[in-house]
Amino acid sequence: MIPRERCAYSAIVDRPPLKLPNRARIVVWTIVNLEFWSISRPMARQVLPAPTGEVFVPDVPNWSWHEYGMRVGVWRFFDLFARLGIRPTLSINARAARAYRSVARAARRAGWEFMGHAWEQMPIHKVDDQAEMIAKSLDTLARFAGTRPIGWLGPGLTETHDTPDLLAAAGIKYIGDWVYDDEPTEIKTTHGPLITLPYSVELNDIPMMLVQHHESAYFTQRCIDSFERLYREGAERAKVMAIAIHPYISGQPHRIKYLEAVYEHINRHEGVLHWNGVEILDWYLSARAAA
Amino acid sequence: MLPSERIDFSAIGQRSKLALPSGARLAVWVIVNIEEWDPTQRMPRTVLTPPAGGAPMPDIPNWAWHEYGNRVGFWRMLDVLDHFRIRAVLAINGSAISRYEPIASAALERGWEFIGHGFTQQSMQKVADEREDIRKTAAAIREFTGKHPRGWLGPGLTETWETPDLLVEEGFEYVCDWVLDDEPVLLATRTRPIVNLPYTQECNDVAMMLIQHHKASEYYDRAIDQFEQLYADAAQSARIMALVVHPYIMGAPHRLKYLHNVLSRLRDRRDVLFWTGAEILDWYLAQRGAG
Repeated sequence: MIPRERCAYSAIVDRPPLKLPNRARIVVWTIVNLEFWSISRPMARQVLPAPTGEVFVPDVPNWSWHEYGMRVGVWRFFDLFARLGIRPTLSINARAARAYRSVARAARRAGWEFMGHAWEQMPIHKVDDQAEMIAKSLDTLARFAGTRPIGWLGPGLTETHDTPDLLAAAGIKYIGDWVYDDEPTEIKTTHGPLITLPYSVELNDIPMMLVQHHESAYFTQRCIDSFERLYREGAERAKVMAIAIHPYISGQPHRIKYLEAVYEHINRHEGVLHWNGVEILDWYLSARAAA
Repeated sequence: MLPSERIDFSAIGQRSKLALPSGARLAVWVIVNIEEWDPTQRMPRTVLTPPAGGAPMPDIPNWAWHEYGNRVGFWRMLDVLDHFRIRAVLAINGSAISRYEPIASAALERGWEFIGHGFTQQSMQKVADEREDIRKTAAAIREFTGKHPRGWLGPGLTETWETPDLLVEEGFEYVCDWVLDDEPVLLATRTRPIVNLPYTQECNDVAMMLIQHHKASEYYDRAIDQFEQLYADAAQSARIMALVVHPYIMGAPHRLKYLHNVLSRLRDRRDVLFWTGAEILDWYLAQRGAG
């Protein structure tokens, strides 16, 4: 199905406003992404292309640059979110849960929500049997999380035209791949409705730091600018603001303080909820009935 | 026809003086671009590349990222333009008029000018039948607004050797693809000439944010620098300044305020006019007649 067959165009101003409990204005949804980069393939991202720009396998420098996030960077995230009392959503390649067991255990202990994020980090188009990969990923994560995930984010947000159908068939209730609104929406699948949550490619350290090459400090500025605008709009209708981070990027010593500064700013405001994907989903399903 | 056959070289200081009414020095026109991206084709622009690169199809995340502009971003941009009582120019793909009917209606209600922008967002060099594309686009605008469009902007400013000829033959009076001057100019065609209005690739959010990867604040800084220089230049002869925005870019929550702040600065000046393309065209033709 192409996107138009799943969901018609809808202008946000033509919908009844959604309301949050206790006159809150905005939900901040933090997503920590953990990936498995197979050394036998080209790396998902590169900080340093090889001289002349050719792609070589194995690509040890870029593999180890990503690995730093798992060995060191992610522990800065655990410290930060423990201090803040925030339980993010963990978007995790299932193979990463197996390869980095202590990280997965720490996330479970901290009460983070596990969200499906494919088996390993490659475009979903290249997976031979998506249904099998989705089932294997969710089964594996269920063992680490204690419950089967109901949320899903494609690797690099990638989908084929039948991915939402396969996800719904596998019991997924929400996806983050459709970054086309400030509110959750419902899309059609061959296996019933699926909810899209407003994930972000704007407040996301991959496009910002690895594609657009912004300075670290700009992460704080862009998040604050977004927050200020959405907080203002949140007086009229509930807004969801996602912050998507990766330990090999935002967990770097030179970047972590800019992430901390975002939460310092946000938490000076009344009416801010820090929710995970499941909490946003549950709220949306009841709020739209009330709207 | 080659560009040199359409227009002779001319140095700006060696032409007769253009004067705006009431002693104004500068006319500013704001162009809002509305596009429809076909999810079965490659996306015209991307914010997020897939893991390990390449261009696997379909590209749902980047399709959704653009769609955000039409579902959400346009509406907050509209608040800003309404606040400053600015009638913008809507450069719209012909197909987008029915697809995003609420956007077209909002523009029509406010008396914005509609200009052709290709039937779909693809290079004019890839369009199978260029005349038919131009005709379909003009017809879509005429049916919706009751008026034949007077202006045209190629998708991505693209043209073939024949585009200006076809535009005149299909009833267009001005084009914006030739960013070669600060004043309107005449381009020869195989029939009668067509006017080119000064559009911009410089104060244009696609070039600035998606290609050059500037911070959002650079839109403000650059627009103000551009304005101050053109304002100084206009002591000699009237100048035109274009500001180009796309809802999926400047309509992102973190970017909107920089557009607001530009317009706030420019709106303060009594000797600056905010005009549509048609108003600039009519003024220019009258000036030429008088000169």
